[in-house]
Amino acid sequence: MAASKAIMRGPTIIKAEDDKTRQLNKNTLMAFSGEAGDTVQFAEFVQANVQLYSMRNDTELNPAAVANFVRGELARSLRSRSPYTVNLLLGGIDPTTQTPHLYWIDYLASLASVPYAAHGYAQYYCLSLLDKHHNPNIDLEQGMKLLGMCTDELKRRLPIDYKGVLVKIITKDGVKEVDFDNDKIVRSA
Amino acid sequence: MDKIVAQYSRPSYQNVYTEQDQQELTESLPPLSLKFALPPVANVSYSNTNKVIHGLEAGCHELGVSGQSSGGPRSPSSQLWRPELPAERPSAFLRAMTDDHSNPSCPIKLAHGTTTLAFRFQGGIIVCTDSRATAGNWIASQTVKKVIPVSRLSRGEDKPTSEPTPGLLGTMAGGAADCQYWLRYLSQQCTLHEIRHKRRITVAAASKILANLTYSYKGYGLSMGTMLAGVTPQEGPALYYIDSDGTRLPGNLFCVGSGQTFAYGVLDANYRYDLTEQEALALGRRAILAAMHRDAYSGGFINLYHVKEEGWVHHGFDDMNPIFWKTKLESGEFSNVTSEL
Amino acid sequence: MTSLMDHQARETVGYSFSESTASGVKQHGFYPYTDNGGSTLGITGSDFAILAGDTRSTSGYNINSRMVPKVFKIGGDDETGEGANIILSVVGFAADGTALKERLDTVVKMYKYQHGKPMTVSACAQRLSTILYQKRFFPYYVHAILAGLDEEGKGALYSYDPVGSYEREQCRAAGAAASLIMPFLDNQVNFKNQYIPGSGEGHALAAKKAEPLPLETVKGLVRDAFTSSVERHIEVGDNLQMVIITKDGIQEVYHPLKKD
Repeated sequence: MAASKAIMRGPTIIKAEDDKTRQLNKNTLMAFSGEAGDTVQFAEFVQANVQLYSMRNDTELNPAAVANFVRGELARSLRSRSPYTVNLLLGGIDPTTQTPHLYWIDYLASLASVPYAAHGYAQYYCLSLLDKHHNPNIDLEQGMKLLGMCTDELKRRLPIDYKGVLVKIITKDGVKEVDFDNDKIVRSA
Repeated sequence: MDKIVAQYSRPSYQNVYTEQDQQELTESLPPLSLKFALPPVANVSYSNTNKVIHGLEAGCHELGVSGQSSGGPRSPSSQLWRPELPAERPSAFLRAMTDDHSNPSCPIKLAHGTTTLAFRFQGGIIVCTDSRATAGNWIASQTVKKVIPVSRLSRGEDKPTSEPTPGLLGTMAGGAADCQYWLRYLSQQCTLHEIRHKRRITVAAASKILANLTYSYKGYGLSMGTMLAGVTPQEGPALYYIDSDGTRLPGNLFCVGSGQTFAYGVLDANYRYDLTEQEALALGRRAILAAMHRDAYSGGFINLYHVKEEGWVHHGFDDMNPIFWKTKLESGEFSNVTSEL
Repeated sequence: MTSLMDHQARETVGYSFSESTASGVKQHGFYPYTDNGGSTLGITGSDFAILAGDTRSTSGYNINSRMVPKVFKIGGDDETGEGANIILSVVGFAADGTALKERLDTVVKMYKYQHGKPMTVSACAQRLSTILYQKRFFPYYVHAILAGLDEEGKGALYSYDPVGSYEREQCRAAGAAASLIMPFLDNQVNFKNQYIPGSGEGHALAAKKAEPLPLETVKGLVRDAFTSSVERHIEVGDNLQMVIITKDGIQEVYHPLKKD
């Protein structure tokens, strides 16, 4: 899972090393984008509730349960006076079956289980790439290569500098940040 | 005496109307007053996300750029024929009648939405398009030919031949009528160039004619994004992008239309200048397929051309559906789509 | 007191624009277009072309006439259209349709007198495109379909958008019920989504190839398309006008449709 490191307010980048993800429990991670303020508030609210559930019931929620909980909270907020405007990607490993899951959730509380996903302008460039190069059997190395192709394309075509990406991987042992070469210079055709 | 004999021995039908009579009878409209009030058009600024209409000012652009390689500066007063204008605010009127973004209930729906691409490689230029035309959510046609031959020798219907046909290729994105009409006009100009100069026009010159034309209409609401591709002795393989803003750019690789980003995604990742002919054709086809899959305004048939030194060769107008399933089932791509129920 | 005087003084000046701000909301412009409803349809075969249209003319929910034909003969020798070899259907704004038909008719006749031979359908098709584009900034509000026989004697049909983009096709429906008729035509004329039974399983199933249909079949399709449209569209009805062009000339027939 990867998210850009820049925080923008109008024309200014106010922070270039931001982490737009929150770990919800041992093996689920959520990346977010959207309205300033809403994003972190909502992510940390979800994080707290998922952890509370684990403490009360002495069990880890699986990614599907977390995703549906998140969707439910978004749907409830959508019908309130001030809804959260956040788009989410939620990834995780099911602790019992050991299978990976990825969920695409938008601010209107649509939930979709997908093999790969993107939010924002990135989806217009990356989804066709992933359509072509992704298959469910790729290993981590191939996955990182594919991510590299996506970031290369964004560097080439997006007219904004998103200050590189922060990459985290989720395995059955938990979530860890990995090094990613953000300084590669990409030349246009 | 001879003169009189010659005059009267001609078949009578050749002498009835002069060229000018013809023009008057067919080209001009009855002297109808068009000074009625236009429907109220709100004088608000339209959002920039509107992809089909550019520019808001309706002023006349009489500025010509000097030192052009051909075509010469064009202004609304030149001898070039101009479409009839309703009143003093043509672009506002046109927007009220035809722009379905700011006015969803407008009476006239124009065809829009496309993916087209062209790129240069060591073996020439690949040109590839989809074939869908939409008017709002209605699919007006699935069989549009968005690659238009622009030259005297190759104008008209595609001939079912594997022999290369000399001449340039143009692609259409944006308003279908704008592209068809002005590429036809460009075709005329290229033919005249051939006759006057006894050699084929360069892609640079042809693209300049078109760019000057679109620039002279800037603000009037034309909508076109075209690419011109050709191989000439002076330039080698040449590719230009021209749009209705008046932009004209030479380059190696362009994708135009609502599905452009999806095509760019596939194309950029796999593009190299030293692609073989087979690789290049496959990449062009695959990039359009990607855009058809992800962009609802693109679809239908994949129209593929290869421009080389001797001329252009047509490589098929193929239904995307079997190609999609073949790609998915044979190379395991499109893993987001399930193949069984 | 001062404020009162100020008020009066302002009123007596009487600038023209002081009124226009108030009347700006009430101002109603002349709207140059209306939609007269109805639908048209064209299908070609190997040696014929058919253009058809209903004859109802509406404005809003009113039916103004039950007998206004939408298909015209172009370039004939007299008012009856005798001697024509091209037919045109127009649907949308009837006044623009009439104007367009008159314009094209003049051009085709002029061509014949000038060159001593009738205009080919392909030439006429391109000319119609230019005529439509000449009004690019004040369009003819019509969807036109042009039909005839090409140089090889095959049926030729060209369809147009309001500003003149055109394409040769096998079949086309235009107007109010286009969205009802066109999918039917795709399936029955171009055999879209039809497969050859037993040719394979799943993705291996072979698609049925489109072939030119015989005249009687096509006539049946046209009547079915219109009787069905009458059932589901309020702007279609009254009579069906069918104009069939073959090497023997043009034949025009009318069939009654429901009058409700």
